[in-house]
Amino acid sequence: MAAEPFDVIVVGSGAAGGTAAHALTGAGARVCLLEAGRSYDPGRETPMFQRTAAAPLRDAGTPDKPFGFYDATVDGGWELPEEPFATAPGTEFRWFRARMLGGRTNHWGRVALRYANHDFKAYSRDGLGADWPFTYDEFAPWYDRAERLVGVFGSNPGLPDQPDSPPGCLQPPPVPRSHELLIMAGGRRLGRPVVPSHTAVITQPIDGRLACFYATPCLRGCSIRANFQSTTVLLPPARATGRLTTLTHAQAYEIEMAPDGRARGVHYLDRLTHRHHFIPGRAVMLGASAMESVRLLLNSRSTQFPDGIGADSGLLGRGVMDSTGSNVWGQFPQMENLPPFNDDGVWLPHVYIPWWAWPEQRAGRLPFTRGYHLELYGGRLEPSADTFDFLDDVSPLTYGRRLKEEAQRYYGSFVRLSQRGEMIAREHNRVQIDPVLRDQWGIPSLRFDVRFSDQELRQTAHAQQSMAEFIEAAGGKLVTPLPRNPAEAILPPGRIIHEVGGARTGVDPARSVTDPFGRVWGVPNLYVIDGAVFPSSAHKNPTLTIVAFASRASEHLRKALRHA
Amino acid sequence: MPDRRETLSWLLRALALSAAPIAGTERAGARILRPGAGGAPGAEGYGRDPSLLHPHIPWPSILTPPQKGAVARLADVFLPEHGASPAASALGVPDFVDEWVSAPYPQQQRDRIVVLQGLTDLERDAGAPIGELDARQAEDLVARLHARAAAGAAPEGRFFRRFRQICLIGYYTTPAGVAQLGYVGYQPSARFAGPPPQVLAKLGIEPGG
Ligand SMILES: Cc1cc2nc3c(=O)[nH]c(=O)nc-3n(C[C@H](O)[C@H](O)[C@H](O)COP(=O)(O)OP(=O)(O)OC[C@H]3O[C@@H](n4cnc5c(N)ncnc54)[C@H](O)[C@@H]3O)c2cc1C
Ligand code: SF4
Repeated sequence: MAAEPFDVIVVGSGAAGGTAAHALTGAGARVCLLEAGRSYDPGRETPMFQRTAAAPLRDAGTPDKPFGFYDATVDGGWELPEEPFATAPGTEFRWFRARMLGGRTNHWGRVALRYANHDFKAYSRDGLGADWPFTYDEFAPWYDRAERLVGVFGSNPGLPDQPDSPPGCLQPPPVPRSHELLIMAGGRRLGRPVVPSHTAVITQPIDGRLACFYATPCLRGCSIRANFQSTTVLLPPARATGRLTTLTHAQAYEIEMAPDGRARGVHYLDRLTHRHHFIPGRAVMLGASAMESVRLLLNSRSTQFPDGIGADSGLLGRGVMDSTGSNVWGQFPQMENLPPFNDDGVWLPHVYIPWWAWPEQRAGRLPFTRGYHLELYGGRLEPSADTFDFLDDVSPLTYGRRLKEEAQRYYGSFVRLSQRGEMIAREHNRVQIDPVLRDQWGIPSLRFDVRFSDQELRQTAHAQQSMAEFIEAAGGKLVTPLPRNPAEAILPPGRIIHEVGGARTGVDPARSVTDPFGRVWGVPNLYVIDGAVFPSSAHKNPTLTIVAFASRASEHLRKALRHA
Repeated sequence: MPDRRETLSWLLRALALSAAPIAGTERAGARILRPGAGGAPGAEGYGRDPSLLHPHIPWPSILTPPQKGAVARLADVFLPEHGASPAASALGVPDFVDEWVSAPYPQQQRDRIVVLQGLTDLERDAGAPIGELDARQAEDLVARLHARAAAGAAPEGRFFRRFRQICLIGYYTTPAGVAQLGYVGYQPSARFAGPPPQVLAKLGIEPGG
């Protein structure tokens, strides 16, 4: 195995690690990528045209494959029996993981939104959480790069909460589908925008990738490379440089420090052979996903860092966030008994509802200080195990010929609106190493202690109300009445799978874990490049920002390596 | 002497108990479990890395031939033949119900108990094996089930809803079912056209609007 000296050891091959491997090998560095999961080849393994009828349980989600049999996730799920985690009494946390090359980028939802300046500087406005150590203008070039690399369709409607991209960054969005047109019409009636989503799918060929052909479910992955996966977009060019060594089944568990205060390399365990290895490198980058990177830091104890690397400020593990999430379902009589037509499009949202009330919120006229956006899902999807989830609500106890008529009538007439909101970073929301729990390999596990505050609940109450307004303005009916209490509507923390924070980036070593480039304070060659660095997490899904931050950190390291 | 029904519900309770640890996976603390553990004795799920291109159902079917006959009879009342639209049993729904209730996953195990209990109750009501009823008798049986469910009887309502739901999934995900719903898709094309004019008209949306 890898005897050659590596410039950089990158831990994790998802959005963060894939970006670093791509950038650094492209810049001439020799990179060793450690990935805990197995190798994965989307070109050969993606069930592009497989139909529901051929899947066990007709593709219904199960604990083995929570998002359905054909979902791209390998060796993942909400519960990994080999890798348990704990939660503090009275709290809940959901943690969806994927153990495979490319991590969760193989099946993520691909909504890719830029933060605005007020998202980076929310603390300065309301005194909650912490600011990012840079402004939008300073970070924007990295968004430009990230959008071009990832391949994102979208538009630039000039909204206060959604920065426009410069020309040449975004690809043309596809036209809206039937249910999206209805919600757009509802938005016009309400005077609220419904605009093209920013989605990591290409509608025109770039970088040798084919454009989307509007025919296959994105969450299974895309063998023609039209949507973004680390394994289709980042790792193939990195491999082509000849400077990438990928070690799969390689579970990193400790970063070793040298006496001079630099990181010496990474200890990992081969999950297949159960052998322990050490791999040295001139620099180390952690992109194991936010919570795993924090765990790795916490588990790396030495005389210099008795409580884990980066624990000096007392902030390591603190400020854990997810997005808030809740749903409202509408049923649309106009969509009943439509004639057959192809409504597939990109199998992800073409449009979304941006945060329209930001000006009102900025003026302090709302009872919560951070925003949300709404995503919409529905329409004439391929019939599946959840197509009839609401028939009991709209057509209870029908059977016989009538049931067939009802099935046809209601098919495709439901739309789900889904809130994605900002959760405020609070230091008491944290992960720690559990005193007793260990994973199958004996590595100490995380314990989550994360709760929502009134801010998130008031935001959710507002979002629930807004979603109902959109549905009704669009001519639909609520399938079930809104719960009276937002606590019944809000999904548990972690459920939206935007978990970030725990190793916050900042300008002050006493108030942050890493410097503005993700370098752990006091360890000049150790970078954290994934969502762990987020000091705050806007309602905008995190991955585009992770890619942009990781490529900026990689550029910083490239210069440092050159100077050394 | 326990009668047949008591023996059966005892069996079902035992089954429910064997499924209990699975339900616990959703709670913190009870996390170290085999994937798909807790199914029929010895049954395994397909695991977290099944072949997606060559799907395979690893768990054995649990329904006995009489139970399957009963499922077919009832499914054909829920989803009968009508004109060109085939009956549930012609689209393999009984096999699918068997696949579903035999699966070693929590939702399916809960459904197994509901379905087996419901079949037992209905057979008692029918006074004969359900699979041997003629069409008219089967319709009467379901009409009585429906009346009890509509009157709010909990076990009957549960069976009605879950059995109907599983049949709907089994029916409308087949090619013939998909065609009846009018889903059109999986057609690669260079451009996505959006809904056609007659659909826009039905939605009340101006073309280009
Ligand atoms: C269903 C779903 C929908 C989503 N939708 C969206 C969306 O619409 N928009 C959005 O922005 N985000 C979305 N996300 C979130 C998105 O997937 C993540 O933000 C993103 O993948 C994070 O990238 P990452 O590189 O930090 O982590 P990951 O993609 O999780 O990759 C981390 C990798 O590191 C490996 N690893 C972990 N620990 C170790 C270790 N100790 N040693 C070696 N390797 C290790 C893992 O096996 C994994 O392969 C979604 C996620 C899911 C599951
Ligand atoms: S819809 Fe387009 S991007 Fe998505 S998987 Fe299919 S071809 Fe690929």
